[in-house]
Amino acid sequence: MASVEIREVRKAFGATPVIHGVSIDITDGEFVILVGPSGCGKSTLLRMVAGLESVTGGEIRIGERVVNNVPPKERDIAMVFQNYALYPHMTVADNMGFSLKLKNAPKAEIQQRVNRAAEILGLTKLLDRYPRQLSGGQRQRVAMGRAIVRDPQVFLFDEPLSNLDAKLRVQMRTEIKELHQRLKTTTVYVTHDQIEAMTMADKIVVMHDGIVEQMGAPLDLYDRPANLFVAGFIGSPSMNFIKGKIVSDGSPRVVTESGVALPVKEVPQGSDGRPVVYGIRPEHFIIDAEKGIPVDVAVVEPTGSETQVFAKLAGQDIVGVFRERVTVGPGDKLPLSPDPALVHLFDQETGNRI
Amino acid sequence: MIERRSYTRRLIEVEIPILLIVVFAIAPYVWMILTSIKPQAELAVFPVQYLPKNATLDHYRDLIARTSFAGSLFNSLVIATGAVVLGLGVAVPAAYAFSRFRFRARTGLMTGFLVINMFPIVLLIIPLFLMMRNLGLIDTYLGVIIGHSTFSIPFAIWMLTSYFNAIPKDLDEAAMIDGATRMETIRLVVLPLILPGLITAGIYIFITSWNEYLFAMMLSGQAVRTVTVALQLFIGEFTVQWGLLTAGGTLIALPVTLLFLVVQKRLVGGLTAGAVKS
Repeated sequence: MASVEIREVRKAFGATPVIHGVSIDITDGEFVILVGPSGCGKSTLLRMVAGLESVTGGEIRIGERVVNNVPPKERDIAMVFQNYALYPHMTVADNMGFSLKLKNAPKAEIQQRVNRAAEILGLTKLLDRYPRQLSGGQRQRVAMGRAIVRDPQVFLFDEPLSNLDAKLRVQMRTEIKELHQRLKTTTVYVTHDQIEAMTMADKIVVMHDGIVEQMGAPLDLYDRPANLFVAGFIGSPSMNFIKGKIVSDGSPRVVTESGVALPVKEVPQGSDGRPVVYGIRPEHFIIDAEKGIPVDVAVVEPTGSETQVFAKLAGQDIVGVFRERVTVGPGDKLPLSPDPALVHLFDQETGNRI
Repeated sequence: MIERRSYTRRLIEVEIPILLIVVFAIAPYVWMILTSIKPQAELAVFPVQYLPKNATLDHYRDLIARTSFAGSLFNSLVIATGAVVLGLGVAVPAAYAFSRFRFRARTGLMTGFLVINMFPIVLLIIPLFLMMRNLGLIDTYLGVIIGHSTFSIPFAIWMLTSYFNAIPKDLDEAAMIDGATRMETIRLVVLPLILPGLITAGIYIFITSWNEYLFAMMLSGQAVRTVTVALQLFIGEFTVQWGLLTAGGTLIALPVTLLFLVVQKRLVGGLTAGAVKS
């Protein structure tokens, strides 16, 4: 096991820069998830750590060693690919033992280590099968088995669950987390799914357009997003954004163009009249017949455990999520009150948190 | 009634025309084989006698015992095998590079290989003849093999590139992360997966080299004469030795036909492999 250090790393494909100086510290045994929309450079960054892409600038260290020019085979890493990349002409056992065979490990040792990994992943009965005879979830497990057998310094996962159906994805999510808790191997995991990131990571790195927008513990990112992008990316459904201006006389509030006053717990001094984006998560609305702001309900989506209400507030689309059953229909008015303690304010121009 | 009529239509529009084409294509072969087993006396009788009255293998016996045809068969075998080894030896690494790496002039070279196939062979053969003479390779196995590689290598590169393209790049990367060198990756992971393509390309080179006439005639003399050239010698200025000619023709066609039967399905598959995402 080892730490991974990414220092001011840049990447350009020809003349097109795609990663503009990214620095991430990953401590030994940490589970770090790189998350972001497609094209943000997260997969490229992972492939640079793996040694599958060259590093244009900066430095990548695994343990104490700078690995910029070290070929993948000498980095002592294991990678799980999105499409599994199992060797079709080898059995499950041969797939998992391939790396040991390349190292000329004795047969008995290969067999023992493959068997142990197969036991951990529940693959013992499938060892003689070929990849084509396996289901998607089983293939995924074999790909992980291939990584485990090697007992590498670092696990790299490149969107490993994207090809699975929704139910299996949730199940494998738990399994991967469990596996990490058991093996405690440093893990870098790439996904575009913020729920995967929230549920599995020790640390989330939110990337966008080749830069790191914010990194931190999942709940820190949820509670204190550094900017509009992170605020909108983390959490589902996304945070509501309403444009307005700070009014600080009397009780502090944000007033929209149409004059609707939204409550805030506190505002920075001297910010009167500053144009801001008022952010409130869908789950932080309270139905409040007395103080609530009436909104026009457009669509109601009950999921059983909760109800999502899509509505218009001061002419802007918002969504609210409620644990209780809400008995409103399209066209109704619903009095909603944002919890002032859970409001996020962002600068309208820079998008940064105030 | 409807079924009946559509069957008649099918017969007239599809089945009879196809039958005619097949007969047109196969009749010469059948005639060749029939001729090769007729005794000398029946060859020139008039009116034409279709089936041999006393079938005999005399011509085959004569061909092997009294002419140098057996030696030519061996020469052809050496040259065709050599063309396969040289062709695949060059085409496998080249096709892998074309499939996996992006380098300057990549498309240009690929197009070049295609264009070479469109040149008339005569255009190549004169400079090639001069080069071979200067290198002292005239009438050697190597000379003819190199001559044949002018068409076999470009073709094999094209065919194998599409086979390589059908193998996801992720497999190479997984193998390299698993600790394989590039060569180990090719040997242990990629080549086993394109084995059908390798066999198909190999057999195709074998067949074209075996059947080739112009290069073989220009670049070989007494020493490494191939079957196609040897066969032509039975056609003299004043007489044609029909018995030997057809027996030789049959012997030449036999291995090629068998090999072609093995690869015909895959050949079409290989030419289009990777054209669409399956």
